[in-house]
Amino acid sequence: MRRRSFMQGLLVAAATGATPGLLRAETRSLTGPEAFAAGLAREPWLVGWKSVGVETLGPTEATIEGRWPSSLTGALYRNGPAWFERAGLRYQHWFDGDGMLQAWRFRDGRVSHTGRMVNTLKFAHEARAGRFEIHAAGTNIPNALPFRNNDDMNTANTAVVKLGDRVFALWEAGSAYEVDPDTLATRGPTTWRSDLVAAPFSAHPLQETDGSAWNFGSLDFFAATGVLIWRIGADGTLARTAVLESHEPGYLHSFAMTRKYLVFVFTPYRMGEGGAFFERMRFAPDLPCRIALVPKDALDAPRWFEAPFAAVYHFADAYEHGGEVVVQAAWHTDVDEARSPMMAAMRGERGSEKGGTELVSLRLDLARNTARWERHGISSFEFPTFDARTPGDEPALLFAPTSVAPASAPYFNAIASIDTRANRTRVHRYGADVMAEEHRFVPRPGSSTPGDGWLVGTLLDFKRGRSGVAVLDAKHVDRGPVATAWVPYTVPLGFHGWFAG
Amino acid sequence: MKTLLIVPSFAALCFLATAAHAGELTVTITDIRAAQGSLMLSLVDSDAAWNSQAKPVAARKVAAEKGEMQFKFSDLPAGVYAVQVMHDENDNSKLDTNFLGIPSEGYGFSNNPNVMRRATFDEARFELKSDAAITIRLR
Repeated sequence: MRRRSFMQGLLVAAATGATPGLLRAETRSLTGPEAFAAGLAREPWLVGWKSVGVETLGPTEATIEGRWPSSLTGALYRNGPAWFERAGLRYQHWFDGDGMLQAWRFRDGRVSHTGRMVNTLKFAHEARAGRFEIHAAGTNIPNALPFRNNDDMNTANTAVVKLGDRVFALWEAGSAYEVDPDTLATRGPTTWRSDLVAAPFSAHPLQETDGSAWNFGSLDFFAATGVLIWRIGADGTLARTAVLESHEPGYLHSFAMTRKYLVFVFTPYRMGEGGAFFERMRFAPDLPCRIALVPKDALDAPRWFEAPFAAVYHFADAYEHGGEVVVQAAWHTDVDEARSPMMAAMRGERGSEKGGTELVSLRLDLARNTARWERHGISSFEFPTFDARTPGDEPALLFAPTSVAPASAPYFNAIASIDTRANRTRVHRYGADVMAEEHRFVPRPGSSTPGDGWLVGTLLDFKRGRSGVAVLDAKHVDRGPVATAWVPYTVPLGFHGWFAG
Repeated sequence: MKTLLIVPSFAALCFLATAAHAGELTVTITDIRAAQGSLMLSLVDSDAAWNSQAKPVAARKVAAEKGEMQFKFSDLPAGVYAVQVMHDENDNSKLDTNFLGIPSEGYGFSNNPNVMRRATFDEARFELKSDAAITIRLR
């Protein structure tokens, strides 16, 4: 781990900008709420990036189309950036919005919806101030206040997880925010141990079948390199931590695991001068990805690999087969688009849509100590999920939102199941005017067969001005939803969810 | 809000006998997040004192109150000063940090410099010519 002390420089992520005030003012006038509102009037799908403007939604009894499975009981929690504007300033980066948690609750064949802003230190402060005063991950705020540490800019806006009986709203460069599982009221940032105040806890913990979990936190946000590895017990309390040292800068948003190994892929980048983290960060395609294969029973004994550059946010399943560790992942083919997804939408514009994703498998040859990316010829998808019960020696069936023409919006409008072993994809297209988000796999009660279960995924029907949740038979995605539940309002599109039965 | 009269140190009082009189400095500390532990405040008049290589003009420790607190320094000679303050929430007489060295307790500096590290004396310094009031936002 390379580390500079607090005295030398804290928080690469929050470095104050050197942008001249005049330039900032010009940029603001082009990208402000007025420009977005004008864009929304032309392009109704932009409602997915509209600032939510209210701190709570619901509880609302959803209207069900079809017959909701009565045995599907529990809650689909969702999280995503939702508050994008204050006092004439609009964030320029999708990742900046303050997080809103939602709960779609299923009981006795009925569905209800609630939403609640995570009352982070940042959100509470800026709500009182009536304006943005803290630098965001991708937008430099004029005259921003100095702040104590990274948790002062924590938006808790990326994912949600239930560990034990505890529900957490997650970001990637600060504390997990615990919330009440029923009311979604914010309990506060979690200090797992006194020396871990504000330590980064990524948005993508991975759960073992016994309910315990692994996670990481990137130290690159703190003028260091490497990751902090977290081990959380099945009761939702800290079991241990370890530091995985690295000697080169590497960005990582998620990781993968097999039965035996944790797999961390460090994507190389360089930092420019001035501006917020995602304004300054540039992926470095001329450099290789470095990959750490870390035995779960020997966290201090990583094996390192190098593979050609690839920009990846989301790794799906990983498995061990034939002397290889293989990780399925969503490769972003355009590094600039990857740095700021849906950047044009944040401005109220339709983008050039030049970028995209391809399904790849990272193959680590354990005998030869080599790594390579295998392309599967499947493109335009993100947010892959899978059934964690899949045997550890074969690729999992993946479930991912995708885009199928015709589509009114430059976003996903369909759900796919992708079987890379059989080279078969099943797709259901929700419609030209519906946008589709991540779908979570839910095992059918009493089943133990991998793949036997439902998919639950959220939708935004911008033509009818409603948000909803669909349930599909995971084995027959192409048959479309068994049922769909709708509420008579829209919620900004988010990132990740978690089903808690 | 509570007002505390801070009396300069003995060394400063001796210095006052020959220095040009300036007046009173009022320091308002805002954004105190919790009424627990102590506020530790240091008024210095040199780079050496800022870096703990000389005695401060005044150093005080008082029970923290949530919100705002005000401190007054009387009979200060004209000159250059800087103030640093920390909120020692657990009263262990240090600014707690996590394993990365990142502060987990509140702190602030005169001029409120927008730097994500400890400010330098030059960034925090201000000139006192007569009665003056400054505000430090605790971060």
